[in-house]
Amino acid sequence: MAALGGGAAWRGAWLPALRLARRSSKAVTRHWKAMHLQRHKLMALTEYLAPRPAVPERCLRPAAGPQEEENGYARLLRRQVEEVFRDSRMIVVCQYNSMPGDDMVLMRHYLRKHNIEVKFFLNEIVRPVLSQSRYKNLLPLFVGRNILLVSPETKAKEMLRVLKGVPQVNLLGACIDDTILSRQGVENFAKLPPLEASQGQTVGALALLPSQTCSLLQHGAAHLTALLDRHIRQLRDGAGEGATPAGPEPAQSPGAP
Amino acid sequence: MGWWRLARPAVAGGGAGGAAPRAALRSWAMPPDYSGVTFPERTKLKFMEKVPAVPKVQREPRRLRDIRGPSRDATELTQGQYGILALGGGYLHWGHFEMIRLTIGRCMDPKTMFAVWRVPAPHKAVTRKSLGHRMGGGKGPIDHYVTAVKSGRLVVEVGGRCEFEEVKPFLTQVARKLPFPAIPVSRDSLQQMRREEEERRLNNQNPWTFERVVTANMLGMRKYLSPRDLELKGRYWGKYFLKHRV
Repeated sequence: MAALGGGAAWRGAWLPALRLARRSSKAVTRHWKAMHLQRHKLMALTEYLAPRPAVPERCLRPAAGPQEEENGYARLLRRQVEEVFRDSRMIVVCQYNSMPGDDMVLMRHYLRKHNIEVKFFLNEIVRPVLSQSRYKNLLPLFVGRNILLVSPETKAKEMLRVLKGVPQVNLLGACIDDTILSRQGVENFAKLPPLEASQGQTVGALALLPSQTCSLLQHGAAHLTALLDRHIRQLRDGAGEGATPAGPEPAQSPGAP
Repeated sequence: MGWWRLARPAVAGGGAGGAAPRAALRSWAMPPDYSGVTFPERTKLKFMEKVPAVPKVQREPRRLRDIRGPSRDATELTQGQYGILALGGGYLHWGHFEMIRLTIGRCMDPKTMFAVWRVPAPHKAVTRKSLGHRMGGGKGPIDHYVTAVKSGRLVVEVGGRCEFEEVKPFLTQVARKLPFPAIPVSRDSLQQMRREEEERRLNNQNPWTFERVVTANMLGMRKYLSPRDLELKGRYWGKYFLKHRV
């Protein structure tokens, strides 16, 4: 270590080589080198201070959920639901409990014979579609596991018969010909005679009165004829020993209605 | 061994946390696209020599400044998608190289992944005097060779048709064994780290920063600091990288 040689001119100078030579370790050491107090203070002073807003962020974030992009599959399913509601006359909502697979297949087969299809839709797809269409009152039915039985015809009696044999599927409600029916309503609807029979009945009921017109009009004359006939018979019987033919009377009656 | 089996969370039956799992519409995530990935000729890590082909005759000074401060080379991911980032300075010797090569070689699938070195083979000669002798007598002979690594440098890069979660376990295993702190990174995580660093620098509420004090030489602070602190700005101290400093 070279000592400071020279006079007063050198004493005030700060030569880094000499100054640093007094220290024990170099700049880069294997261990954590102890810092000078002033440097330590500077490091403590210049530390990072995180921002602290007046209202914390967690109080200001009500709806920051990530918006999921429109799923093409969901759109397809929604379109299918709309088609089903548009094209079918009878839509029945049933509660669906899990049942054996082959029972399910059999039930679908029997329903298919009556042209009734079994459809499965997810509630989360059906609910928004219904809430925007005119079937809003069917919304309470679409909670929990359910299936839809749809058909372009209204064969309620056969459907009820099939469903009676399947205890795991319970009818909740139906929409038949744009009329919302409950379970009771469906049963009553099933008891109704078929459309053709009821049409015939109506026509018969309507045609009943005109058919009676003819007999009503002829009622007076017929009554008179009957009375006169009886009278003639009485007279004939009364005057059986006599010989008074009621010639002029029978000739007279057909000419006087 | 499927990596995804290890990371599957336990299914809770509607207890703490959120709602019970309900049946909902299945949404499929698109599988990752590996079309831009080009494999090098050799997918496994090259063997690094202990001693360079032309061993040095002239013994070189210690030059510890090759450990100090941030790295200028190999700071970005070039060939692969994931890598090991050094968060401190240090020397890697042949033992480290072998450990890295063998561990990565054992854990990766050479058909679907590849790995490349981002550090050169040991070239810096380190001398050592024989044990138990007094000081003096000249500089010792060359003992071994090392590579210097500064903080912010990538050591190895891994890529291929793989996800970060597949690669992370063995990269962390390797990173723990290195002589300096290191972490496995992917392109996204590296960008995220840089972004966060920048955000911290911008939203620091402290009006007094090291940089400001040193550049203005407030209170004569430069008396106690090195001239290199102007560039290092208080984030580096010796071979250490102070991550928490802004």
